[in-house]
Amino acid sequence: MTQGTRRILSAFLAAAVSFCILFPAAAPAARDIAAELRQERGRLLEMKEREEKTAQELTEALRKENRSKGRVGELQALLTRQRSLLSRIDRKVSALNERLERAEKDVRELEAAHGQARTDLQRAEVVAFAGQRAGAEDPWQLSARERERHFMRVYLAADAEGVARITRARERKEEELSGLERQVAVTERTMAREKKVGESLLSRQEEERRRLADIEREKKHKEKELKSLRAKIARMESVVSRVERQVKERERRARKAAGRGSASREPAEAPRRFASLSGGLSAPLAGKVVTRFGRQHDTTFDVTIENRGVEIEAPSGASVKSVGQGEVAFAGAVSGFGNVLIVQHGGGLFSVYGRLETFLVKQGEAVKRGTVVGRLPGSPSGKSVLYLELRAGGTAIDPTSAIPLDS
Amino acid sequence: MSEQTSLWWIDWRLSRLPLVRETIGRFLFFCLLGFALLSLLLSGGASRFLADRYAITAVLRADVPSAEAEGLARKVAALPPVRSAAYRDPEAAWKEFLRAYPGLDPLRGAGRNPMPGYIEIRIRPDRLTRADVDLVASALRSVPLVEQVLAGEEWLPRLLRADRLAFWAGWGIFSAFLAGFFLVGRLQERGRAVALAGDFAFLVERGVPTGRMVFFRAASAAVSGFLLAAAGTAAGGGALFLFLRKFPFLEGGIGPPSDLLLPRTLAVAVLFSCGVALLSAAASLLGWRAALSGRK
Repeated sequence: MTQGTRRILSAFLAAAVSFCILFPAAAPAARDIAAELRQERGRLLEMKEREEKTAQELTEALRKENRSKGRVGELQALLTRQRSLLSRIDRKVSALNERLERAEKDVRELEAAHGQARTDLQRAEVVAFAGQRAGAEDPWQLSARERERHFMRVYLAADAEGVARITRARERKEEELSGLERQVAVTERTMAREKKVGESLLSRQEEERRRLADIEREKKHKEKELKSLRAKIARMESVVSRVERQVKERERRARKAAGRGSASREPAEAPRRFASLSGGLSAPLAGKVVTRFGRQHDTTFDVTIENRGVEIEAPSGASVKSVGQGEVAFAGAVSGFGNVLIVQHGGGLFSVYGRLETFLVKQGEAVKRGTVVGRLPGSPSGKSVLYLELRAGGTAIDPTSAIPLDS
Repeated sequence: MSEQTSLWWIDWRLSRLPLVRETIGRFLFFCLLGFALLSLLLSGGASRFLADRYAITAVLRADVPSAEAEGLARKVAALPPVRSAAYRDPEAAWKEFLRAYPGLDPLRGAGRNPMPGYIEIRIRPDRLTRADVDLVASALRSVPLVEQVLAGEEWLPRLLRADRLAFWAGWGIFSAFLAGFFLVGRLQERGRAVALAGDFAFLVERGVPTGRMVFFRAASAAVSGFLLAAAGTAAGGGALFLFLRKFPFLEGGIGPPSDLLLPRTLAVAVLFSCGVALLSAAASLLGWRAALSGRK
């Protein structure tokens, strides 16, 4: 819950409690002021609901903005990596293409050399086997002939070996060429795929940026709206406070006139006033205080908020009991607190129970200390939270100072 | 003594003109025969010709240095049957090959020379035999530097057979001519004996012993035969010498002129003259006997 929301809800609860105070104590002469007060309070409530809604929307916009910025950052990092990868692949393709060209040139040269070598070999074989030998007419040069035949065999063998060597070299080059072509094809496919991925990332980033821009526009709009609403609420609260003061003054005068005057009690005495209630006070349920009263630091938004009550974590569906004797002054839904029940204990003392699922008492019904007034809602985690606020003379006091609660 | 001396040349005194004709004829004959004899002696039939054309080729390995190859050639040249051994380096082998196959020259202008070096071994003409060739070839095959020995294994037997045939043919013809000389000489001696029968009978009546007269006639025939053969052989040798000097290419088939003066050649010429002397004496005796037989 944001600081603004809490502040608004607290103000609302204060107004609601004040409303409850006024009715039993209002004199017939002040009916016009009460009516005006009710009307102003209704408007205030409406505005606060709007403010709460706007604040929630703003919070949601902030979350969206953070998420969107995170996504944009992630996409930017991905795009950078993608561009680097594409650059590497491009360099690799260039290098492969250069090697491919060299290999093709080598293969062409080897093919030409192979053709020439084969032609030479065939011509040499023709020369050898057609007896195109100088001095062949001398039949007595037997040894010379024998040597020349041997050398011709050496020559042909060397030529054949040369042809075979060129053939092997050409085959190796052709294999290398095939391998390079396969590598180029694979790399080009990879590059095309990565380009698509890059385009997709770019498209997503653009989309995310547009969304972020929308969110920022929405956020600015909501901030403006919230600011305006808060100004209105402040003015309205000022009006309501003034009216409340008038009502209290009238009540005090009325009590004084009735001889039942009593000394005004200071807010510092509020816990004692609660303790002096008939039957004393008891905890509304067994649970642990998870949100404390007063000024607290909200780590989510890094702000200091002021809690006007406490939140008690208890098992889901637990029964909520009245902390003391009194009368149900209000039972209804309040935005941000769910179902809220207010018990008037008299003497300007009120206890407020928020986030109930069901009410087990009705407005105007008298309750005693420990009377079950409602139940907490169920939840998948098995835990629910009760909002408890104590007010004395229109001022919220720390419930843990008046009621023994497990913290 | 004078009577005895007169019996030596009795035929010359009794029949001078026919004897001059015979002597001239025999001299010319011996010139030819001496020429043939010396030619046969120097050439060994066809041995020199064939030996000049036959060579054993020791093909060396490709990586043999020239110095080692030349050392090997010197060692081979020292073998008894070897007349000469010459090392040809790969470049010389390549040039020789291109000379033999001029059509290949343009085919391998820039190519590497694939030819190995080799040693060409010539055998002495008088040692051109299968055993000597095998001796040299087997000696070469045992040398690690030698990759292959080309000794004409396929055609060498035919060559040696031709050599033997030429040898026997040459000497056979020579012998036939010599036999012809003997037969003709016998006939001439017989004819002269018949022609001079009266003169011989007169001498016998005067107390000259027949045997003595026959002996002196045979002795004079031997001496004249020796002298004629020697002179003819010398003349034939001189002619052969001039012939070889004039036609040097014949040295390959016959031999160098200087070999004519070798002691061996001279000894053979002397032996030949002696042989002719014996044949002349025999012809004289046999002719006398034939003349007596005919008279009876």
